[in-house]
Amino acid sequence: MSTAMNFGSKSFKPRPPDKGAFPLDHFGECSAFKEQFLECLRQSGSESSACRPRAMAYLQCRMERRVPGGRPGRGESFLRKVQLMANEPLEKLGFKDLIDEKSEAKPEK
Amino acid sequence: VVPGETALAFYKAKNPTDKPVIGISTYNVVPFEAGQYFNKIQCFCFEEQRLNPQEEVDMPVFFYIDPEFAEDPKMAKVDLITLSYTFFEAKEGHKLPLPGYQ
Repeated sequence: MSTAMNFGSKSFKPRPPDKGAFPLDHFGECSAFKEQFLECLRQSGSESSACRPRAMAYLQCRMERRVPGGRPGRGESFLRKVQLMANEPLEKLGFKDLIDEKSEAKPEK
Repeated sequence: VVPGETALAFYKAKNPTDKPVIGISTYNVVPFEAGQYFNKIQCFCFEEQRLNPQEEVDMPVFFYIDPEFAEDPKMAKVDLITLSYTFFEAKEGHKLPLPGYQ
């Protein structure tokens, strides 16, 4: 199925992502976190809300990993390392409530 | 998915050929009217991505539905929004037909 090719007045206008593109995880460095997240979705009947902690863990994994990367075809060596995701405070990624819960739990330990 | 809450989704792509493929993808949202509420924080689209021969990779999309979706009476009957991606092969010097995207 191709993109909407209407001849009417409406046409779908793609918008770029706010924070750009994810580099590909060629070596599956964060696959384990992905699997745990997908397992949670299976068990919860695809409830995104229930699986937010695991989504957060997956993104944290990406932020912590550096892999050989770089744009192909622009004369760059593949030895350059890139993060799988640029560092971003988790509160800014919609996980503020989960972070607050964690820091509240800490003093009790 | 709850409007206003960030959510994660995964797609998978495989290059079944014996040559590396450099692709670039664009997306579509149905129903059309829901598209304005669909916000991507980060995804794999719009940038060239290289897939080696036989390589299979996971492609994440991190997004949220604008909370105003829940206030829009036109969206009251919408309980399914479908996001799809189309991959184009990126060729050197080839201009890709990405409608509305500069």
